[in-house]
Amino acid sequence: MILVDKDTKVIVQGATGKMGGAHAKRMLDYGTKLVAGVTPGKAGERVHGIPVFDTVQEAVDKTQADCSVIFVPPYLALDAGCEAAEAGIKTIVVITEGIPPQDTVKLVHYLKEKDALLIGPNCPGVISPGACLVGILPGSIFKPGRIGMVSRSGTLTYEIALALSDAGLGQSTCVGIGGDPIKGLDYQTILTLFEKDPGTEAIVLIGEIGGSAEEEAAAFIKEKCKKPVVAYIAGQTAPPGKRMGHAGAIVTGGKGTAQSKIEALNAARVKIASTPSQVAKFVAEVAKLPAKT
Amino acid sequence: MNLYEYEAKQIFAEFGIPIPPSVRITKAEELSKVLFGYPLVLKCQVLSGGRGKAGGVKFPKDLKEGQKIAAELLKLTINGSPTRSLLVEPMLPIKQELYLSITLDRAQGTAIFIASKEGGIEIESSHNVVTMPVPYPYHPFTGRELAKQLGLSGPILVKVADIANKLYKLFEAKDLDLAEINPLIITEGGEVIAGDGKIIVNDDSLARQKTFTGWQESHLDELTDRERRAKLSGLNLVELKGKIGILCNGAGLTMATMDMVKAFGGEPANFLDVGGGSDQDKTLAALDIVNENPDIEVILLNILGGITACDEVASALVKFIKKNPQRQLVVRLRGNNQDLAEKILADSGLKLIKDLEPAVQEAVDRSNSARGKGAPVAAK
Repeated sequence: MILVDKDTKVIVQGATGKMGGAHAKRMLDYGTKLVAGVTPGKAGERVHGIPVFDTVQEAVDKTQADCSVIFVPPYLALDAGCEAAEAGIKTIVVITEGIPPQDTVKLVHYLKEKDALLIGPNCPGVISPGACLVGILPGSIFKPGRIGMVSRSGTLTYEIALALSDAGLGQSTCVGIGGDPIKGLDYQTILTLFEKDPGTEAIVLIGEIGGSAEEEAAAFIKEKCKKPVVAYIAGQTAPPGKRMGHAGAIVTGGKGTAQSKIEALNAARVKIASTPSQVAKFVAEVAKLPAKT
Repeated sequence: MNLYEYEAKQIFAEFGIPIPPSVRITKAEELSKVLFGYPLVLKCQVLSGGRGKAGGVKFPKDLKEGQKIAAELLKLTINGSPTRSLLVEPMLPIKQELYLSITLDRAQGTAIFIASKEGGIEIESSHNVVTMPVPYPYHPFTGRELAKQLGLSGPILVKVADIANKLYKLFEAKDLDLAEINPLIITEGGEVIAGDGKIIVNDDSLARQKTFTGWQESHLDELTDRERRAKLSGLNLVELKGKIGILCNGAGLTMATMDMVKAFGGEPANFLDVGGGSDQDKTLAALDIVNENPDIEVILLNILGGITACDEVASALVKFIKKNPQRQLVVRLRGNNQDLAEKILADSGLKLIKDLEPAVQEAVDRSNSARGKGAPVAAK
């Protein structure tokens, strides 16, 4: 597994909010070592039994947390992320959707200087099934195993994880890198981590229209990846010039099409599936793992 | 949100970027009050691109011709965007035209300058493009470096550098996705002036940019009526030409569902992402707006509940069926609170499909058989 495991100590920024509170409960129920919440002005309260602090620094000092998951409103996310990095947190997962991209540019820059990893924004988080859930992914869909997943989408990741789990193909770690055009960790960083991870046998890459991240990932896979990769690309039927939900999912000036991504990945000898169940079928073939039928 | 040229230029002026004198008119008669002398420039104010090619810019030689042309231009719709007003400007003595813009570069994760010695043409067709990632934090030497790379010198270099710096300042201050000056005109007299202006404001930033409060509704020309209403109520709708209405949660899953509908032999009628964590009311509003499309034969609802609770969706479905008992519906619901959803829907007669691919197949089959009968299923 990569990024998060059973020893990861997690805090929730925005723990007393509706979203933060509800997902804190689900993370705790999953078995995540959730050690604290942070909401300015709410120190001393408890959320589902975990202590709430005013500042991230105080939470880190008291709990030695090393990972933060951020649920604060969009215009407060830049500040929250910087606060976490300043307090020494090294893995920062931003769930919040709708952050102005120029705030994300600043956040990416700040976290790089502090040597902290940014996952997201506008992402479902990270799960190492059976060990740690950080974010909003529905834990019951994921099963422990040896397939690594990386995706720009949330629910599509769940769909494909479901197909894998149903086929008896558990996952080492699943990472949602987010649907925004400007983001933290890219495919290549996650692929590198999976390449080095002895617990990962094969990798599933889930992409979508817009930008050139999949093309860059394809070039990287061609050069650096020894483990087999299966890909799924969403948005083949998307009309050009229209934003398909995610801020980053748009074909402009003929660039960022599903076709271009599929061609690049094909050239890197990545198998492209056309349905979630086909992802599972291809993974079973390339990973030489026994799949249930 | 795209802005009109005249709005972009007002913002340029606020930030000290020189613009030509101009008057905006909404009636041809108003031209008689414009005292710039002839010939002058008449420009359709539209939100779409391709204005020049579509004949939306004219240079009348006197008032009589001007009023005739103005009346024609005011009736022109360019790529779906109707002309509601004209911008009238004097002809400038052009020595050279440049291109200058700032946008966000996804691959590098920064703002980026794009500039060219060839202005007034589409930047995609220019062969002399200079790009420069914008360092964070910003320093004004960036503008000078850019002007230098354009091959400029002397007072023109200083003026272009200053405009580049001001353009960055407004790009950041107003939370823009794009700030573009094309052409950036160098006059015979050595002035540097923004000949045209295009601004795209980042949609996620509108709520904190007080300048643009209340602007959105009048800047959605590129959308259909239903898309516009969906957007204003917080739903993401993109309409296509097909027969199968689609409603999902999550952008990636919605796109994947559309792709599968197509691959299984159906035609998606729309993309509609209700978003994560949608409650009953939002889901019902989404169902209603998809249902309004007269072309659809069947609605495929695909919810994989992560943040979204299946029981909220189920309650919306119960209300929807009550209002629209004849509507063909294929429902795939799975995930969070699925058991509660099944209980809620038990009496509705609606069959829940657990897996995605069989649900897509069912929707395609029903759509095809509806057409086979030659009579689309009526909404009521």
